[in-house]
Amino acid sequence: MKVTVKYFSWIRVKLNKSQDLFEIEEKLNFKDLKLFLIKKDNFFSEIFSDDSIKFFINFKEIENETIDIVDGDELGILPPVTGG
Amino acid sequence: MIKITNKDFSLDDLYSNIKSHKNGAVSIFLGTVREDLFNEKESIEAIFLECYEDLAIKQLDKIRTEAIHKWNLNNCIIVHRVGKIPLGDKIVFIMTSSPHREESIRSNEFIIDQLKTKAAFWKFSQYGDDSKIVEAKEKDLEKNLKWKDVIKN
Repeated sequence: MKVTVKYFSWIRVKLNKSQDLFEIEEKLNFKDLKLFLIKKDNFFSEIFSDDSIKFFINFKEIENETIDIVDGDELGILPPVTGG
Repeated sequence: MIKITNKDFSLDDLYSNIKSHKNGAVSIFLGTVREDLFNEKESIEAIFLECYEDLAIKQLDKIRTEAIHKWNLNNCIIVHRVGKIPLGDKIVFIMTSSPHREESIRSNEFIIDQLKTKAAFWKFSQYGDDSKIVEAKEKDLEKNLKWKDVIKN
């Protein structure tokens, strides 16, 4: 399955890209996806341990890490917002 | 009406969208790019606004709907710019209309306080070739929290 991960603000700057498209073979939930991403780049461990960062699947904030990830899902990784 | 745009906008054009004989009051908030009051070494030339547009539209729609219901507004317009915005230019525009002034004023303040902490936009200050991320402010979170009890009632 394919999962898009979108980066914003300082995370986008640090990674020097605004998104990634990952091909994943096995079925997984958000907790598994976090481990998958950390394996790809240890920088994600910094992201996932930062309490100020919010995670959205298909524009809905993740409240339960056991939520299943399915083909075509979009994960948004959002640092604290500063608009207005 | 909710709009996210990389272009400047006309206040008169937006007012024509909200003008109605049912309005006794129209309140406007206009956020603009100001110089950095705490940085005496460098001068801001512009800011850059980044946005997660699909999510921001949903978040703004939720805030707008909440304000319309709570204060029985006749109408509400929210416009937010993205991209590079020069010093002095418009960033965000909120216009609320109601039969009486209290509702339009209170709801307008509510919307900007919510937008500041709940909508997926990020600012960068631009100093020549250099760009710095604008950090989220604690006082914006505090302003947001003060509405918790108002919205419950």
